[in-house]
Amino acid sequence: MEENQIIERLEKIFSSVFGKESIVLTRTTSAGDIAEWNSLNHMILISEVETAFNLKFKLKELNKMQHVGDLIDLIISKSIV
Amino acid sequence: MFNDFVIGQFLSAVNNYTDKNAFCIAGKFYSYYDFAQHISKIRQKIQTIKGSSEIIGLIANDDIETYASIFAIWFEGLAYVPLHPKQPMERNLQIIKQADITWVINSQNNNPFEGLDVVFVGDLIFTELLLKPNLVDEDKLAYILFTSGSTGMPKGVQINRKNVGAFMKSFWETGFQVNESDKCLQCFDLTFDVSVQAFLTSLTKGACTYTIPHEQIKYSYIYGLLEDHHLTFCVMAPSMIRFLRPYFDEIHSESVKYCILTAEASPLELAMEWSACIPNAEVFNFYGPTEATIYCTYHKLKKEGKNKDLNGMLSIGKPMNGVNAIIVDENSNVLSVNQKGEMCISGDQITPGYWKNPQKNSESFFTKDYQGKTTRYYKTGDLCYFDEDGDIMLSGRLDYQVKIQGYRIELGEIEYHAREYMNGNNAVAVAYENKTGNNEIALFVESESCDTNLLLDYLKTKLPPYMVPVKTIVIEIFPLNANGKTDRLVLKNSIIKSA
Repeated sequence: MEENQIIERLEKIFSSVFGKESIVLTRTTSAGDIAEWNSLNHMILISEVETAFNLKFKLKELNKMQHVGDLIDLIISKSIV
Repeated sequence: MFNDFVIGQFLSAVNNYTDKNAFCIAGKFYSYYDFAQHISKIRQKIQTIKGSSEIIGLIANDDIETYASIFAIWFEGLAYVPLHPKQPMERNLQIIKQADITWVINSQNNNPFEGLDVVFVGDLIFTELLLKPNLVDEDKLAYILFTSGSTGMPKGVQINRKNVGAFMKSFWETGFQVNESDKCLQCFDLTFDVSVQAFLTSLTKGACTYTIPHEQIKYSYIYGLLEDHHLTFCVMAPSMIRFLRPYFDEIHSESVKYCILTAEASPLELAMEWSACIPNAEVFNFYGPTEATIYCTYHKLKKEGKNKDLNGMLSIGKPMNGVNAIIVDENSNVLSVNQKGEMCISGDQITPGYWKNPQKNSESFFTKDYQGKTTRYYKTGDLCYFDEDGDIMLSGRLDYQVKIQGYRIELGEIEYHAREYMNGNNAVAVAYENKTGNNEIALFVESESCDTNLLLDYLKTKLPPYMVPVKTIVIEIFPLNANGKTDRLVLKNSIIKSA
């Protein structure tokens, strides 16, 4: 899957989890940029991303994730396997 | 006691472990000397503006200056009121007004409060060490924490120096051994009193305190600290551990020596599963209302053998040294073993009272002649009983005790059976008034998918008909309040709105 396709799908998931009409994501977006991005919503977000892309993250992988770019890379690397 | 157990021990740590790390904040280390420098320059600043007010607002950021401000305030003989930058402005303004705060310390260069003097301590210049404390009376305040009041107005719990000193003395007497090689987790907001235990335990022994930046995902960051920094002492709320539960098979932290579960009732099953992730740790359940200074009873988890629980929640054990607990009925008569009533606490850890709130003070405190002494007690609002061994079993809040069709029931019992059915997933039962003015029970279950009909069928086999919930609501993840506890009020309000 192309990176821009992933971002597009992530934007939809983020908007729905954070209850916003639309969210524009870039590789550098992080939890600090979105007020609603707390522990609770993070858990929901991860679970939605896992379902949408049909993959399962490890805590070790999630822990190293600082930006949306890291999430994209993770999705790409997990989708290839 | 404050001067010995807080100020004195902290100064010993600064002298003995000058070059050792005191803090790790957002990945950056600060030595005890760095910390002492920050304290000194903030003290210097405070001295230039110190006026009539002894109570100083402190914006609770996650940085070295904010922690240093707490000590600078204490060294000056003053008290702090934490104001969380992420809390609604209106609530912070209410607190400022109630506590008569005239100036606020902020480590960030912005003034969120119009019309109030804000002292910026983020970029002060260090000139000299100022570590000789102003030793003030033990009845001077150390901090005021504002907790949510049932009327919607936050109420201020005043904690004086004697309270904090008595707490630290009792805390060490429970047997914890902490030294300069320890690495302690501080994952609580400074607006919550467990934070005080977390940083004092570490800073009075020369250990290093690891904090969580506000913008980080807490549970994930804690895991990172365990993995990368090999923490040895953790204090956590069960709700935080529940977030980690899906990943327990990945967690194996041999470095942890002690783990305290606190802030809310600890489910035995979750505590046991978590203890397997930290195989070398002694795990404790600590209980305490803010009014009794951080903790007042504790219970050590047995990793092998049977643990005492009530409705699946761990016993809160026995009172700490210096704390006296009694269980009383509605008329303040002391009840005997196995009789359920309201737990009341006395001792040097009990707050002098709510800030400027005589009505609440007369409701929550009373004096009683007991065992030949006249003693002042705080009514915890928690429904408890002593078992034959003197261990306290926590049955829930008195307010969770509701009458349905004339029967007095405890919501905790319904929650217990629901959790049992769902293999430990969280469940919260709330009572609400239906359109006819009668009480009904709604059950919230935390699950991705749960067949509520099957759950109800199960509950019908365990509970009398009047205790079976009328409504069941499946929520993927429960809302948490600012202290990391399941937010029962949000859940209850959602049902009231839809009722």
